[in-house]
Amino acid sequence: MNDKRTLTNTIAHLFLQFLAANYNFRPSFRKYLKSEEGWINFTLGIRTENRTVAQAIQFKDGKARVLSKIPDRTDSALIFKDDSIIKKVAGSPPNELMNYIMTNQVIPEGNLAYTQLFSFYLSLLLKNQHIRLLKKAKAKQYTPDETCTMPETSSRIRQKKQLECENTEPGVRFLKDPYLSGMTLDDFPRLKQFLDIHFKVKPAICHERPQLLTRWHMENGFEKDRSGEPWNPELRQAHAFRYLMENRKPIVRENDLLAGTTTEKEIGVVLYPDAQGILIWGELLTTPYRLLNPYDVEKETIDILHHDVFPYWIDRNFRQWVRDHKGYPLCQKLDERFAVYFLWKTVALSHTILDYPKLFHMGTKGIINEIDEQMRQTPPEEMDKLASLQAMRITLEGLNAYARNLSHEAFRLANGETDMTRKNELVHLFEILKNVPENPCETLDEAVNALWIVWVGAHMENTNAGLSLGRLDQWLQPFFEKDMERLSLEEERNTYIRHAVELIGCFYMRCTDHLPLIPDIGNYLFGGSSSDQAITLGGVKPDGSDAVNDMTYIFLKVTEMLTIRDPNVNARYSRGKNSDTYLKRLSEVNLNTTATPSIHNDEAVMTSLEEFNYPIEHLRDWSATGCVEPTLSGRHIGHTNCMMFNMVAALEMALNNGEHPLMRWQVGPETGEINKGAFPAFEDFFEAFCKQFDFLAGQACQYNNFLGEAHQYLRPTPYLSSMIDGCIQKGMDATKGGALYNSSGSACIGLADVTDSLMAVKQLVYEEKTISFPEFLNAINSNFVNRPDLLARLKNRVPLFGSGNKDALEMANRITKFAHDNFGKRKNYRGGAYTAGFWSMSNHVAFGTLTGALPSGRLKGKAFTPGLTPEAHASKNILDNIRDVSMLEPRHMNNNIAFNVKVVPSAEDSHEQAVDHIYSYAKAYCDMGGMQMQFNVVSTDTLKDAMAHPESYQNLLVRISGYNAYFVTLNRDMQMELIARAEFGL
Amino acid sequence: MERIKSPLILDIKGNSLDDGPGIRSVIFFKGCPLSCVWCHNPESQKITAEVSFDKKSCVDCGACIDVCSENALSKSLPEYVDRKRCTRCFKCVDVCPSTALERVGREMTVEDIVNAVEKDKPFYETSGGGITLSGGEPTVFTAFLARLLEQLKKSGTHTLLETCGHFNIESFKSDLLPYLDMIYFDLKIMDTADHVKYCGISNRTILENFKTIYTLCPDRMLPRVPLIPDITDTVSNLKAIASYLAALDVKKISLLSYNPLWPEKCEKIGVTNLLPGNEKSLTWTSGEKMAKCREIFASEGILINGKHA
Repeated sequence: MNDKRTLTNTIAHLFLQFLAANYNFRPSFRKYLKSEEGWINFTLGIRTENRTVAQAIQFKDGKARVLSKIPDRTDSALIFKDDSIIKKVAGSPPNELMNYIMTNQVIPEGNLAYTQLFSFYLSLLLKNQHIRLLKKAKAKQYTPDETCTMPETSSRIRQKKQLECENTEPGVRFLKDPYLSGMTLDDFPRLKQFLDIHFKVKPAICHERPQLLTRWHMENGFEKDRSGEPWNPELRQAHAFRYLMENRKPIVRENDLLAGTTTEKEIGVVLYPDAQGILIWGELLTTPYRLLNPYDVEKETIDILHHDVFPYWIDRNFRQWVRDHKGYPLCQKLDERFAVYFLWKTVALSHTILDYPKLFHMGTKGIINEIDEQMRQTPPEEMDKLASLQAMRITLEGLNAYARNLSHEAFRLANGETDMTRKNELVHLFEILKNVPENPCETLDEAVNALWIVWVGAHMENTNAGLSLGRLDQWLQPFFEKDMERLSLEEERNTYIRHAVELIGCFYMRCTDHLPLIPDIGNYLFGGSSSDQAITLGGVKPDGSDAVNDMTYIFLKVTEMLTIRDPNVNARYSRGKNSDTYLKRLSEVNLNTTATPSIHNDEAVMTSLEEFNYPIEHLRDWSATGCVEPTLSGRHIGHTNCMMFNMVAALEMALNNGEHPLMRWQVGPETGEINKGAFPAFEDFFEAFCKQFDFLAGQACQYNNFLGEAHQYLRPTPYLSSMIDGCIQKGMDATKGGALYNSSGSACIGLADVTDSLMAVKQLVYEEKTISFPEFLNAINSNFVNRPDLLARLKNRVPLFGSGNKDALEMANRITKFAHDNFGKRKNYRGGAYTAGFWSMSNHVAFGTLTGALPSGRLKGKAFTPGLTPEAHASKNILDNIRDVSMLEPRHMNNNIAFNVKVVPSAEDSHEQAVDHIYSYAKAYCDMGGMQMQFNVVSTDTLKDAMAHPESYQNLLVRISGYNAYFVTLNRDMQMELIARAEFGL
Repeated sequence: MERIKSPLILDIKGNSLDDGPGIRSVIFFKGCPLSCVWCHNPESQKITAEVSFDKKSCVDCGACIDVCSENALSKSLPEYVDRKRCTRCFKCVDVCPSTALERVGREMTVEDIVNAVEKDKPFYETSGGGITLSGGEPTVFTAFLARLLEQLKKSGTHTLLETCGHFNIESFKSDLLPYLDMIYFDLKIMDTADHVKYCGISNRTILENFKTIYTLCPDRMLPRVPLIPDITDTVSNLKAIASYLAALDVKKISLLSYNPLWPEKCEKIGVTNLLPGNEKSLTWTSGEKMAKCREIFASEGILINGKHA
């Protein structure tokens, strides 16, 4: 055995000795071996795949020891592809480790927390060198080949023209010009000030939430309570939540119309150690210096997290629960290799929408009464049910306590305020907070404040990843109307409309006060994403009538003026019900913001959900969640983003008889070797693809179900449950299926790439027979080097999805149907169905980098197309793209889609003409039955210029796939993908 | 020319936003009675099919050389295609994987064209667009055009003709005019001798036709003047056009800016660029120049239309 060992093994040994010595003998290091609860003990193995290197390091009772033989049982291990990767990783900052893991050059085994902890120890030792490396990387940014000067386009982004509009909307009662064309950002100095903070203040990791929660759990126990009895998880969670809410610092931010914050920081990164939080452990020291989306981390925070917080959660997080309770299953190992799927339940199950109207109209008091009533009717032997109800009640008390603390704070500030205007605002705020969210809301000010405080609560319980806001225009309109009806003078009413715009503006800016915790790997997987708090506008009311109202246009105005990435604004457009005036305004806001709102065809989305036979009035109340996915507002746990599923991986495995090339792993079923003539007909190959898909989907759903159980135990959601219809009636937590409706939603990634690849195989190998399958495979495996002719043929002679070709469209529909049926046949842990969506967040880029060349001619490592958007060279004519996508069957896409269209207004076009063009595309697309569409109204030259001069483009908004991001915060691959997208002149 | 019943179609370009109101499909006909030295679509002049070669797209696989029975293709030729030898069998085009070799001009029936453009009808409807006949010169094929237009009007498609103005006025009035919603009529050079020099024929018919049609249906007409450096964009020529139009009480025209991209097209089909090369012929019309031209027309009370009518 030992003769295989290389020089690297010796060097690794010496290096580990050096590390151990530092931690054994230098007190400033040694103190980090200890947590609040004592010494942190663990063993970590380090080896190469063929065991040329094999070392272990053991930390035990304050001593570090290097072992030349890896013990049979380690807590965690890192398996390097070969010696060279060890050398590379050793010389890299800690954030790079996860990137090596993602690209499968390092394979982690066991508890990832220990890997992170070891990485932290390394980083503590090599901090200065790491920071130097990161600073160097930052200096070496992209410089374009030629200088791009696009003054016209960039000024276009900044200068917002406005159409005026005479009100003819039946639902708009008070706005004379629904477009509110007279207002600009300059009219709202308060919002300008908040925008300034948004773009200038560096986010910082906040330890408030994890510290308070950890403290409570240390005192009261996690598995068992203080008397030694096992905790009911929901009650445990509820008590901890109430403690957190009671003890959080109540902050009323300077000049704000809303009280409360999600963190103690101006812009805070919320940390959830029971979810993915621990993954930042290794990067704590270097995060402020990383290239993309750096966060500040104070020394105090590092110490608290390292000593008090993280050690407590090493075994109490979702991933680890599955490892411990399900025997480290294959489905989990696959997830932790990142190439075939990513399960969002490792982070959150947040993608849902609370029943806000209920809260507005009943207050927490009313909900508590309902819970009490339910408890009275529940026989005492139904202990679980009573505990669930009790837990919901406790969380609402916690929320009330937080609101009370905020009201005291507002009072305190009002007393000390010398500026009379502000003093009045604070007194007003104090009065609002005395009343809500405990009591029913009476005014728009109360409703929006209640909304925000409840929202803060939601984020204190559940990870800030896709919790969504729902149909705010519908739910706030009654308050706006009531307020307006009290005013009779025209001038008073105008002033009030302006106030409503400012109030909603403040709400948007509050929503930007927190960011999800993203370890550096997340910059590559989900680059630039905020927490995707979706707002939904327009559409129809539950009774089927036109829902567009005053608040719809107020939200659109705010969206346009602020042009920020989050909240993620989605507009429902109901043909025949919603007016042209409305669709035109959606088009104009897209033009002026360059990227938002995304437009949903109401009919198509509802058709896609037909199979579930939801009551029509509930179906009509759907809202977009996270990115684009439909949730029946307030009564549905759809965890609509439970997984990012790489369909292309199934194709690669079908090409390789079940082996995944990047993972170097024969993991799928053996479906046939191309080189041995396995597939006599195209249908045989299609079948192989289906089998691999079925295998991966089965694994992904199994892992989702395991993680669901982990949530039930580690982080049930009594607070959320109290505001989701069904949970109180059933007396059941939302994680257990308490909601009226339950489902889990997948995002199937790479539709265009799979379709085009299958078309290429079908045509070249089986129909024209211009190339044999083995020869084709050979060209694919060599990334088409030496085969420019084949590449040219693929590009020009194979009809692609989005080219207007019937066969390609049929192929795409066949794949969506297969995906839908395959997910649809599975059941989730809450008894609900799996749905299939075709959008990708930014994973089309990440999965692309982890994928080899494809039969479509797409080269190794290149991004897939975003969502289900056709390949850029599918057609020179955008109408072919739009028509093909509109003809995809909505019934196969019951978790929605993301269809990106990049359009560039011509300098000669008037503002009105540019609006008209966008309108025409969107209208025709919906008329033909298309489901969802999102625009990027920006030219390639502008994007290139922004890469070269990021400082001038801080607010350049782009639509990725389903969500918005600031272009300059994206990783280079994603920036290049956006540039490569087909561009069509307006 | 009238003897040719079925025209060759160069291309049907969808989603055009520059050739009339709304979103349009532009049908390019091959063949033109004029031979303007600056022709921006040089491949549209000849009425017969041609081979074009785009060096940038060629992947050098040699498949075309293997199938050419006339030995008309060779890497040693600067234009690659020996057009004297080429019999236009297009076998090379069929085997070319990269579309470096392409057939310019394909036969299409009225039904083919109708099918190709009607698929975009939802977009015409939402944008107030339709189809545009362009070229080449579509009126070369009056009989064909009449049948095509009749079909399109049956389904309510908005129709627009872009024309050089050189055609038989009687058949135009009887066969085409009833089906046209709009006519973009080019006026290039007022001086007859210059017109012959630069466009190959006299402008007498063109000017007569313009007058006749404008008198019949001024609302459906938009005169357009292409700005070709030192040929059409001279002060004297533009003044002459302006006063001619003013005399007819024309209130609105369109100016077409010059673009320097077309010489590349000449190379692809192996025709000689006849425009004397100078710096101006290599640059786009400047905003400043455009403003000056606009001024000339404004002084006669004629407005310049934006991109669209």
